[in-house]
Amino acid sequence: MDKTLLLELVGIEKRFGGVHALRGVDLDLNAGEVHVLLGENGAGKSTLMSVLSGVITPDSGTLRLDGHPLRLQSPRDAQEAGIVMIPQELDLVPGLDIAANLFLGHERRSALRTLDGPRMRREADGLLARAGVRLQATRLVSSLRMGERQLVAIAKALAAEARILILDEPTAALSAAEAEHLFGVVRELRARGVGIIYISHRLEEVGRIGDRVTVMRDGRVAGQAAPDAPQAELVRLLVGRDFSALFPGHGGAAGEMLLSLSHARFIPAVPRAGWQAPRDVSLSVRAGEIVGLSGLMGAGRTELLSALFGFEAAGRWEGDIEVGGRPFRPGTVDAARQAGLAYVTDDRRGSGFVAGHTVARNIVMSTLRRMTPHGLVATAAERRQVAAALERSDVRPRRPEAKVINLSGGNQQKVVFAKELLSAPRLLLLDEPTRGVDVGAKAEIYRQLRVLAAQGLGVLVASSELPELIGLCDRIVVMQDGVTVAAFAAGVDEETLRRHSIGDATATTRGAA
Amino acid sequence: MSTVAPPPGRPGLRPLALLVRFQSLLGLVLVLLGGVLFSPHRHGRILFLAADNVANIVRSISETGILALGMTFVIIAGGIDLSVGAVLGLSSVLTAALLVNDGWGLAGTLPLVLLVATLFGLLQGVLSTRLRIQAFIVTLAGLQAARGLALIASDNNFINITYGDGPGRAPPGFALLGERLFGDTFPVATLVFVILAILAAFLLNRTRYGRYVFAVGGNERAARLSGIPVQWIRISVYGLSGLCAGVAGIVHAGQFSFGSPNDGAGYELNAIAAVVIGGTDLFGGAGSMIGTIAGAVMLGALANILQLNDVSAAMQLLATGAIIVIAAGLQTVVGRDASSR
Repeated sequence: MDKTLLLELVGIEKRFGGVHALRGVDLDLNAGEVHVLLGENGAGKSTLMSVLSGVITPDSGTLRLDGHPLRLQSPRDAQEAGIVMIPQELDLVPGLDIAANLFLGHERRSALRTLDGPRMRREADGLLARAGVRLQATRLVSSLRMGERQLVAIAKALAAEARILILDEPTAALSAAEAEHLFGVVRELRARGVGIIYISHRLEEVGRIGDRVTVMRDGRVAGQAAPDAPQAELVRLLVGRDFSALFPGHGGAAGEMLLSLSHARFIPAVPRAGWQAPRDVSLSVRAGEIVGLSGLMGAGRTELLSALFGFEAAGRWEGDIEVGGRPFRPGTVDAARQAGLAYVTDDRRGSGFVAGHTVARNIVMSTLRRMTPHGLVATAAERRQVAAALERSDVRPRRPEAKVINLSGGNQQKVVFAKELLSAPRLLLLDEPTRGVDVGAKAEIYRQLRVLAAQGLGVLVASSELPELIGLCDRIVVMQDGVTVAAFAAGVDEETLRRHSIGDATATTRGAA
Repeated sequence: MSTVAPPPGRPGLRPLALLVRFQSLLGLVLVLLGGVLFSPHRHGRILFLAADNVANIVRSISETGILALGMTFVIIAGGIDLSVGAVLGLSSVLTAALLVNDGWGLAGTLPLVLLVATLFGLLQGVLSTRLRIQAFIVTLAGLQAARGLALIASDNNFINITYGDGPGRAPPGFALLGERLFGDTFPVATLVFVILAILAAFLLNRTRYGRYVFAVGGNERAARLSGIPVQWIRISVYGLSGLCAGVAGIVHAGQFSFGSPNDGAGYELNAIAAVVIGGTDLFGGAGSMIGTIAGAVMLGALANILQLNDVSAAMQLLATGAIIVIAAGLQTVVGRDASSR
């Protein structure tokens, strides 16, 4: 397809009171192109997309569609111009069927002004087919999986005759297989000339879906990159400095063996779609070591950690697992904590903290049993411990009575760390420990991990950001479809890790998808 | 970009923060002030504040209040218990039947009634957690079932409690529940409520169990990840609620000297109203026992003011409804305002 310029934004400025949210942003989009927009929280992505979907009007700057100036005063204007945004929280009504959702607000009606069900179903089938979705238009949205809902939302955008589609972190809640399917649909739309702005947090997606990458930072365009640029380059644009400077360096000598798995295999009680059970895992973590878990989305990193901790993973383990030199059968959270394990999940809001409770309450949550002798709360001792933990983890503000929901993402994550570390674990399991965390907090978390490791803590950290693993870890284990396929010492490069996470067996199928 | 809570001592925020903190108490003070202002006078004295009238108020709230204590645990844990009024009825009937018809002593009757009520609550807890049926549904069914059991236990009859020795009579000691202490000023029923309220506040605020209840209601997954026995907490709060309903049923039987299978109808709604007015979040995870107590007193005082002023029963209901909406609405507005700062 030829490169026809579809949309152009020039010098977009927006202030909210004293906050300069957009400082002269230029962006363009061709027909039949996927333009990936990257940026940390607060970089201005959302504001820019609100401008583009008519939700807010910029203070200055121009928009051009097909070369003609475009004024967007309301979301309706944007829709009429063919610009449709699909937000993370999909605006679908779960209790209605797909057809009713596709025509919500634009219902087709018969001569008697009643709903024309047959016609809507017919047209819905057509729209679903155009979006490459194989679903019955009569199915209730509530019966669909997240990935399917996402596709319905795309079909709905097509119903509104979208020429420009904005996808806001569409894969955030999807399993690997669902994400793969979504990519297929996006590519198909691209082939049909739709221009797509794809907002993402996941660096690993960029190369697989994007034609062009623009990185935003502090309300400006920080730079553009080719989709196959190394993640290190993207990260440098994202954070504005050399990423490796954030890392405190690697560790010294490793101590006693804390965790060792040898051909361990997890058999889930109930197989779950999109849940990649660990099939053949061999790895070890020694005291003082930070070991990384790498692999593609869906390789089974999260599943390995949660099954080791006995959290939301019913089933049984086979093979050799030792913790602290003794055989260990993961099963319950209690058993894991007793054995000296602690776990920071990748879902901070969902399972990391209680949003409406105070920082103090959250920090003592997993150590309450120890801190409540005879079942009674020991206020003074608790207050001391909380104060010390806030200090250690550098939570700001240092206010035990602040509600966690009012903290920034980075400080929320520090609270989660403080909570897990209060139990004085020997082995810390981490899943995407710096997701949605600002640069300053990232550096602080890295520093703290290295200090703790030096004191004898072992860390097993899963991350989809290769530069993070490379900068932080003493060793990196690569997983693929639930199997540990390779292990590398510090100093390995991105390309090697990437090559091993794809592997020969799956290279062809993934390439063709 | 980071949203940070304001520091504690910023002077401009203090009044609002205080208001939020003591919202239910503030409402209570307003209602009491209203009571004094609008009270009829007799012989130059304010009727609302007369010893007899105050005793009436605190007696009238004791049963709802006791129910509301248990309800607070359930709601903070993220559940709801619609069965408490019916369990109160069942317990009162069971008490009367055992004392009068079966000639049991107090030492056997009271523990058995409490055990039945607690087990009834626990069973509801098990059904709602294990079978994952919504608490609303389970306890709605429990409401029906408890009424059915009450009818069976009473043989579909109203059971009068007469005191004395011998068959068909209850031990005179039981009549104490209808009496007043301290020179005929303080109802025994209220004393029971006060003691239970202190215990409940202690359990909620000063024990590990209370912390667990808050955590489970606040974020069940985070609680589970912390090794908190989530299922047991979810089940046990219904046991506590059942226990409270059992106590309330015994108090009911003692105060009125009868057991009626249909008594306690609608009490569950008053208990929930007291909890909500007290600032406990119906979504779970937040709330306070002091608030619940204040809420219960406020409802009782309000009903009393209206009665003193000869407001018709119909108008009383309307006024109570309006107060619930206003109280809950104010809290939501104030609370939201404070948390969004």
